[in-house]
Amino acid sequence: MADDSIHSRDFNRSARAIAAAWFALIALMLASLGSAYLKLGPWNMMAGLAIAAVKSAIVAWLFMRLRESGALIRLVALAGPGVWFILLALSGVDYETRHVTRSTLQAPQQLQRSSAP
Amino acid sequence: MTSYLDDGLTIRSWLTTTDHKRIAILYAIAITAFFFVGGAAATIIRLELATPQGDLVSHDAYNKLFTAHGVIMVWLFLIPSIPSVLGNFLLPLMIGAKDLAFPRLNLASWYLYVAGGLLTLEALFLGGVDTGWTFYTPYSTMFSNTYVVLTLVGIFVTGFSSILTGLNFIATIHTLRDKAMGWFKLPLFAWAMYATSLILVLATPVLAITVLLAVAERLFQIGVFDPAYGGDPLLFQHLFWFYSHPAVYVMILPAMGVVSEIIPCFARRPVFGYRSMAYAIMAIASVGFLVWGHHMFVSGQSLTASLVFSLLSFIVAIPSAIKVFNWTATLYKGAIRLDAPMLYALGFVGLFTIGGLTGLFLASLALDVHLTDTYFVVAHFHYIMVGGAVMAYFAGLHFWWPKVTGRLYPEVWSRIAAVVVFIGFNLTFFPQFLLGVEGMPRRYHAYPPQFQVLNLFSSAGAGVLALGYLMPLVYLAWSLRGGPRAGDNPWHAKGLEWQTRSPPPTHNFDAPPVVPEIVYDYRADERDPEGAR
Amino acid sequence: MNAATLPAVDERADPDTGKMGMWIFLASEVLLFGGLFIAYLYGRTTWPQGWAAASRHTDVVLGTVNTALLLTSSAIVALAVACAEDETRQRWTAGLLWATATLGAAFLAIKGIEWHADWREHLAPTASFAIRVAGAQQFFALYFVMTGLHAVHMAIGVGVLAALAHARAHGRAWARARHVEVAALYWHFVDLVWIFLYPLLYLVERHG
Repeated sequence: MADDSIHSRDFNRSARAIAAAWFALIALMLASLGSAYLKLGPWNMMAGLAIAAVKSAIVAWLFMRLRESGALIRLVALAGPGVWFILLALSGVDYETRHVTRSTLQAPQQLQRSSAP
Repeated sequence: MTSYLDDGLTIRSWLTTTDHKRIAILYAIAITAFFFVGGAAATIIRLELATPQGDLVSHDAYNKLFTAHGVIMVWLFLIPSIPSVLGNFLLPLMIGAKDLAFPRLNLASWYLYVAGGLLTLEALFLGGVDTGWTFYTPYSTMFSNTYVVLTLVGIFVTGFSSILTGLNFIATIHTLRDKAMGWFKLPLFAWAMYATSLILVLATPVLAITVLLAVAERLFQIGVFDPAYGGDPLLFQHLFWFYSHPAVYVMILPAMGVVSEIIPCFARRPVFGYRSMAYAIMAIASVGFLVWGHHMFVSGQSLTASLVFSLLSFIVAIPSAIKVFNWTATLYKGAIRLDAPMLYALGFVGLFTIGGLTGLFLASLALDVHLTDTYFVVAHFHYIMVGGAVMAYFAGLHFWWPKVTGRLYPEVWSRIAAVVVFIGFNLTFFPQFLLGVEGMPRRYHAYPPQFQVLNLFSSAGAGVLALGYLMPLVYLAWSLRGGPRAGDNPWHAKGLEWQTRSPPPTHNFDAPPVVPEIVYDYRADERDPEGAR
Repeated sequence: MNAATLPAVDERADPDTGKMGMWIFLASEVLLFGGLFIAYLYGRTTWPQGWAAASRHTDVVLGTVNTALLLTSSAIVALAVACAEDETRQRWTAGLLWATATLGAAFLAIKGIEWHADWREHLAPTASFAIRVAGAQQFFALYFVMTGLHAVHMAIGVGVLAALAHARAHGRAWARARHVEVAALYWHFVDLVWIFLYPLLYLVERHG
């Protein structure tokens, strides 16, 4: 019936979106893997995190259906990362501005043992 | 007519209930038990501190006592008290709902809380833990010879109880409000529960992971918190206080909610500035996430970070101050009745103000260098947590007792107890401000003789305070056994919970409650119909 | 016995309440794992050589295979949810849920193999830790805690999905579409955590 074909269309649309998302995710994963073998210095971590962020956006938006969700659900979804960023930012202020001079006594203990296992 | 209390009389019916009202009572029994265990530790502490020598207990035992007192009072009493007892009972009633959004999860929360509490008590009985409730590393993870892991596991389990309760309350307030109850018709207690729940859901997991890492460090020497292994003790402190500072707002916001229900009722005036009160609640919860570093001013944290945290700590005081002004303004031209709930609520306003103001002393970097880790800090937080939160808990207990139990308690004794608590509290803790300024350190069981007089006042006060806490145990038990029956609304209070029977039926409302056009529609000039008291 | 006998949507409860409850729970989980990421960031910025040296000892092949498995399992469970909501295709739901659970179990098996290999190579943070660069031991300490906590979450997910698949195949009422959706949300979250763990643990410095 017409009803069924509407539902079929909805399902087919979903299925196609899922397939496209999967393809993109695998491609991004390979890009991330590849970028680790390039000598990019501090940009290696940036590249890895940026790609991870894009993958997360795909999973959250399409798989977790934030695309179809109301404002409240989206707000809840953002609350976790938002509060985490507060933890990062303010503790980061401490870590960025604290000057640590390590003495030789502060070398991690793992290096102080002279004999091999 | 039957109430929720008649709906199943076996112990099993209580232990398998999903009725939010019964679960509230299960929590009440548990937290009362823990309160007295924590109080017993405090009693021994104050007995020891009556004399300058460390002559009652050894220094190890003393360390274990103040740790037990802190751990039990913070996690097993204060955090759950108002939300899990009063919040559980009242929230669905206040919004016209039949129960919380996830009733079975609510029961699970209680079991998790009890399990965590028993694990913590077990650690106590096996020999205790001596690190202080703050578990600073590397002492707690690498050097202490006490039951650190067991206690931390107990706290970890209890934390999940908090998270699930918060989850339940948030979902409930969003989805189960009566259709006519928009956000700005919610009672302020409900707003307080909402803000508290946000903190519970977002801050408690950080405690959970911190505790997990500390356990891993202790068991496997993973070293993230120990400089000898390349770690950082301040990493522990940042993670710990990221939770533990918002945790104090978990303790005070519900208390503020309770006070906001009581003062309008007993002044017969609508709360002054309802919207600003609601916004202030949300502001306290949000800005409260930004200030944790003020616990770390002398820890080695950078000066820049300390300045930032100091500024933010001053800012977070503003919404609290707004609330104090509004409570005071609510009293203006009111028809004030000094029943027990009101005595406790007024006590809260005064003592919270003192506690809050002294927080500003501690938020000032230069002053904090002198005052940190002294009895000034101890006095500050006890003014807020005991003079504030505990008094508000007692206020709420007395205000809603008729609704919960269907009975009244003896008016005279309740007022006497409230006054005894107020006097005992101030006698105990005011001298501690002076001790702190003079330099007496906290967590010491022996001290120079010049501090003895103030310590004696404090210990004497503790005895009076203990008496004040024991009195309700007696007369409330009396009330349960055969106090006079309360009507639906002995205080002539507004609020949906007063539109149903006392005690309510299991399904909360026989007929759908009527959401008033105006919240807190009290009129001081309204002829008080035949008062119940 | 078949899925057509599943009852209609429970009229008492708002269908979106469960979804909201799960999202709130996931917010708390973000902060749970978030603490570990903060510890990681501290370690990486304090001991960059140690982090790089240690990361090179992780098994990038198994790690990448696992990532692919998990991403695929997310796609499959998303498909399962779409099927559950479609009358003509909802009979595929149980099978897709089983497939997801199987991929999850495979992930855990591979993880076990990795950990076993790490243990044999003296990469577990014990007294006999093999890499003598400052901070390397701490990397592996965090590696085991982070992947361990993730694995616990995965195991729970596998259990829930398997239970759902079984219940669906037997026409049980609680396996209705919106519960599948809620379980899928949890699964996607576990995938999200791994999406970040993968570059942070396996790809710190693979060149040179």
